[in-house]
Amino acid sequence: MERRFRCTGCGKCCQGRLPLSVPDALAHADRFPLFVLWAPVRPGGRSYDLTRQLGVTLDLKKKKQAALRVAILSYVPSGMKCPALQDDGLCAVHDAKPLRCRAMPLSGARAEDDQDDLLLPRAGWECDVGEDAPVVYRDKTVVARGDYEAEREQLIKDAAILRPFATMMLQAAPQIRMDVEKMASRPMGGHVITDTAHLIQHLAGVDAFHFAAKQLPVMEAFAARTAGVAELAKEHKRYADSAAHWRRVLGG
Amino acid sequence: MAANPCPCNSGKTFEDCCAPLLGGQARAQTAEALMRARFTAHVREDFDFVAATHAAAEKDSYNKSAAEAQAKTLTWTRLEILETEAGGPDDAAGTVTFAAHFTQNGQSMVHREKSEFVREDGEWVYVDGEINPRSAPVRVDKVGRNDPCPCGSGKKYKKCCGA
Ligand code: SF4
Ligand code: SF4
Ligand SMILES: [Zn+2]
Repeated sequence: MERRFRCTGCGKCCQGRLPLSVPDALAHADRFPLFVLWAPVRPGGRSYDLTRQLGVTLDLKKKKQAALRVAILSYVPSGMKCPALQDDGLCAVHDAKPLRCRAMPLSGARAEDDQDDLLLPRAGWECDVGEDAPVVYRDKTVVARGDYEAEREQLIKDAAILRPFATMMLQAAPQIRMDVEKMASRPMGGHVITDTAHLIQHLAGVDAFHFAAKQLPVMEAFAARTAGVAELAKEHKRYADSAAHWRRVLGG
Repeated sequence: MAANPCPCNSGKTFEDCCAPLLGGQARAQTAEALMRARFTAHVREDFDFVAATHAAAEKDSYNKSAAEAQAKTLTWTRLEILETEAGGPDDAAGTVTFAAHFTQNGQSMVHREKSEFVREDGEWVYVDGEINPRSAPVRVDKVGRNDPCPCGSGKKYKKCCGA
């Protein structure tokens, strides 16, 4: 089985949430509203073992387990365009494009034999999957390997920071543990989102005040953009709370 | 209550308690004394002292600016030492279990931790701690089934979280 794919750069997939590597998140902290995603993955899926390796293993009731993916997210409401997407449809950070975007449509966060569904363009996307597009995936093996492997390598590096962070938070913050476990045992799944206030303490060498100064205007802009929209009330609160936190850090 | 009570709630004055440790004129004789001094250092925002009293292996991972940033968002109010194991003048290691009370966003909160201390070149240093439940307050948002799931099928959107 072969899958062909060429990105035409239509920008249609540049919306909603975007998981970022730690260096990408820090490099673009002045642009993306950053939060932390906690996404449990149940056993059985092809990417289960990989998720355990990159994240942490949760012990659930009745001796069950789940893998927990922990990632930094550019948290943009579904359907709202990426803050780096320009009006001309081009990416404003093209030369420093996040690894996640470079690896599209493949995902380094998923097992190599678990990429099939990613290669089917979603409705409205203008990806070229025709005869002329190059073969990127054959018999469950990635053919165009560069960006896929680069993303995977970075995820492995990030795990050295995110795993101890997640372990500490699960121990110290029972709300997170309870909510994550609840999501892990729900048949329809779900995930949990927290702010980056605690994560920053695990990023040795990152200046928390510079980070705050970058995130504050981004959070304020997203709070303004989501203000008064009933369906986005939850998102709005998230941005406003985060802005308030960084404002306090900056002594405002 | 003493005239200038030590922030660590020892009942002594600051001058007779943590000040000489923070000022470098004296060394902590016990793990508890260092624990108290590190709390007082947090209260006084003396993060150089906090950094300097980490075990060598932990020093690189301490983010001083993050500690300073966090200090802007909360006020430490009180320290309670709950339990100590070893950590005396003749010991090489010890643990101190404590509750550090603080207020944040107008709410009273507690950070409970069992900290591990060892001696390095004769001086007590902090290694790390096991943080107990009901301490770090975190804002949590649950995202239910109607939101596209980043981990299951991944079918609802793009650059979703895969897995
Ligand atoms: S960073 Fe650029 S490529 Fe990535 S989603 Fe945003 S606009 Fe698209
Ligand atoms: S929708 Fe497809 S073609 Fe358009 S930018 Fe995304 S990956 Fe490229
Ligand atoms: Zn004292």
